[in-house]
Amino acid sequence: MSLKALRIVWRVTALNFRAQLEYRTEFLLMVAIGAVWQVSVIVFATVLLTRFTGMGGWDSSDVLLIPATRMLAHGLFVLFLGRMHWAGRQIQEGRIDVYLLRPMPVHRQVQLAYFPTNAIGDLTVAAGLMVGALSRSDLDWTAGRITYLIAAVLGGMLLEAALFTVVASAALRFPAADYWGRWLEELLGTFGSYPLNVLPRAVGGLLTYGLPLAFVAYFPAAVLTGHDTAVPYWLAAASPLLGLLAYLGARLLWRWALRHYSGVNG
Amino acid sequence: MAMVHAWRAARVTPLGELHAPPRMTAVLLRLSVQVVLVWSLWRGLYAQTGTTAGLDRDQAVTYAVLAVLASRLRELDQYTGRDTVLQHMHFGTIVYWYLRPLPPQRYYALRALGEQLYGLAWALGGYAVCLAVGAVEPPRSAAVAGVFLLSMLLGQWVLYYVMLVLDQLCFFTLRNNAAMLILLFAQNLLAGVYAPLWFFPDWFITMSAFLPFQATLSVPLSLYVGRIPLSDAALQIAVQAAWVVALALFTRWVWRRAAQRVISQGG
Amino acid sequence: MSGSIEVRGLTRTFHTTVRRPGLAGALRSLVNPERVAKHAVLDVSFDVAPGELLALLGPNGAGKSTTIKMLTGILTPTAGEARVAGVVPYQERERNARNIGAVFGQRTQLWWDLPVRESFAILRDIYEVPKAEHAARLKEFDELLDLSSFWDTRVRHLSLGQRVRSDLAAALLHDPPVVFLDEPTIGMDVVVKEQVREFLRNQVEERGRTVLLTTHDMTEVERLAERVVLINHGRLMLDGTLEEIRRKFGSTWQVRATLADPHAEVVPPPGIALLRHDGPRVVFGPDGPDAPTVHQALKAVIERFEVTDIGIDEADLEDVMRAAYVQATGDA
Repeated sequence: MSLKALRIVWRVTALNFRAQLEYRTEFLLMVAIGAVWQVSVIVFATVLLTRFTGMGGWDSSDVLLIPATRMLAHGLFVLFLGRMHWAGRQIQEGRIDVYLLRPMPVHRQVQLAYFPTNAIGDLTVAAGLMVGALSRSDLDWTAGRITYLIAAVLGGMLLEAALFTVVASAALRFPAADYWGRWLEELLGTFGSYPLNVLPRAVGGLLTYGLPLAFVAYFPAAVLTGHDTAVPYWLAAASPLLGLLAYLGARLLWRWALRHYSGVNG
Repeated sequence: MAMVHAWRAARVTPLGELHAPPRMTAVLLRLSVQVVLVWSLWRGLYAQTGTTAGLDRDQAVTYAVLAVLASRLRELDQYTGRDTVLQHMHFGTIVYWYLRPLPPQRYYALRALGEQLYGLAWALGGYAVCLAVGAVEPPRSAAVAGVFLLSMLLGQWVLYYVMLVLDQLCFFTLRNNAAMLILLFAQNLLAGVYAPLWFFPDWFITMSAFLPFQATLSVPLSLYVGRIPLSDAALQIAVQAAWVVALALFTRWVWRRAAQRVISQGG
Repeated sequence: MSGSIEVRGLTRTFHTTVRRPGLAGALRSLVNPERVAKHAVLDVSFDVAPGELLALLGPNGAGKSTTIKMLTGILTPTAGEARVAGVVPYQERERNARNIGAVFGQRTQLWWDLPVRESFAILRDIYEVPKAEHAARLKEFDELLDLSSFWDTRVRHLSLGQRVRSDLAAALLHDPPVVFLDEPTIGMDVVVKEQVREFLRNQVEERGRTVLLTTHDMTEVERLAERVVLINHGRLMLDGTLEEIRRKFGSTWQVRATLADPHAEVVPPPGIALLRHDGPRVVFGPDGPDAPTVHQALKAVIERFEVTDIGIDEADLEDVMRAAYVQATGDA
């Protein structure tokens, strides 16, 4: 992205943020909703994990790293790349046709569709959870571990973005594919926070090789805390890299799908 | 009465689904996978624990699977039909709701009824299969089954009003899908869809007792698995009924405000 | 069926929040919004007789849609009064709803996920139309709008022309005496436009429906409307026949002539101006408020000069309306 493009991105984002301020009640409501959201997510994540101590051989000081990594990755995803989640809606409304007319990459325009006010809430929760998880952790936080954690969070963000980009690419062809996007969100939210070795092998395998949810937070956390997983150590350790590769692949797929885009409603 | 004449509005959702077989396949797949996942997750969670929060493994698994089935009752892809309040406000087609001799609130109620009945067919089918393969336990007695049915009916009624309030919000402020999604998540969480409320800390359970959400799902399912004993059922059902009355009055008032809003701004 | 529309002193004022510029301004507006009043419609009065088609014209933002919304009962006027088929629409919305049909441009009232015919069936139930009557009317509409070729298709897969035709039929299936159409043919191809016009003419002439139509398509106005009402900035500018509008705003004729003697001195007749003089070719136009009509001018030019060729350009309706809009804007 050139400097000029960055400036445009920044300016549109600022405009989008102002657009959010336009609807006064809604903006204030979003802030309030964010607060409810924060409380409920923290309660949900911590309560379940602490109640079943020793789940899958993880004690509660380690297990919190999984939801913390996953939530932080998710919050960053919502802030930077989250509009991919709504690409299906934009496709159904025929906005892609408009985007195709403008001299800016379609993907970037999808991202610039609006400002994600809710990301502020998501990130606050996630940061809080991460601080909590780190303070309870007995691990020795060396520079290497911290670097790996940061890489894991970024990799998780890219992996989530890759999954939604794949759904969006499918939606370019079949607008109804948007439905799968919402399921994906639900699956990531409900199963992304557990040590997946509590599940039967087949189910865990499905969430590793079918829907690569395990690579978002479970594998990186296992590597950091020294837990065994169902996959070889090198594969689990490569999670951040896999996130990056998956994202690059998804972007290629998106480009291919866009070239074959034939419009909605004839 | 227009309510009777317009029964066809209740068919919109089932008919729309029947006209889109891929969507039905998707629902079937999603429901099956979700049941398997939830079933294995809760069995896994209980692998090292006996009874916790007053629920043993089979109770918790039954609760969780039933919650997945019940959430099918009204968790369709409503957006593809372009008949949500949010979308009507967005596309400016809300005016047609106010151009017909059928009051919008009745039209909305009919649509929701059709949708809930359609979802019920899915839930019942899923329940039969789960019961057959032993993924859920049958109710412990005929009395439990009867109380559960009554409580579930009231719960769905409360859920209808809760969803209605969320939709009504769109008349006044919400223009944002993300906000809607968060609210839906919060409603599901507080209703006990993701995890039984019994697992939460005491202050959370106390707070929940003052909110309508647990009346939608947590109460009927707790009755089913026996976490709420039959002796407490009467009280719980009375609370559910009270919520139905309170929310009915509240949403009626909001409908009037919504109409004023549309009529003062022209949609 | 008696579908008259009476409008007396109709006024609608909107209060909007002024947005201050810049990010700081937006934040300040969030805390302390500043409100201003704007008259969307101001003291508008007109009548539409039963069985008449009236075109409501005006530039964008003139107040046409606001007027229609008040007449359909969706919007309550700030002042004034309106009656549609004897009912005050915003006081008895549901009773009024049975008397009217409405199509708002490209906004569809059909159910997106269902075949068109299912939407018709739902509306039949909502308006409590007897089955036989519904079937007969559907057959009639099908003959005029060719609906059966696509009415088993789901709305999401219809073309714009098909959808608007379906929407028109949907709005008229309950046999309303009064019909409101807000830019019904916008964005449609000529064939479909003509089909829709034919349908409307049929419904006015054969069924005696009263139609209030807004449009920017002047061909449509010429083909359909006997009478037009022109509003701008919320105020009524003119209420009359197309002929009256032409007379008032359409004095922009031109007479083009080729003179036999290219070197002759050209002194135009009184009330006529010489617009262009290029060798033997001259162009005349009206001069001042007492300018003659185009036919008088033609005669005067032939009498005064020896011409080898002569022709006239009369302003078409679009030019007339442009003049009317511009003048109305200047007046306001």
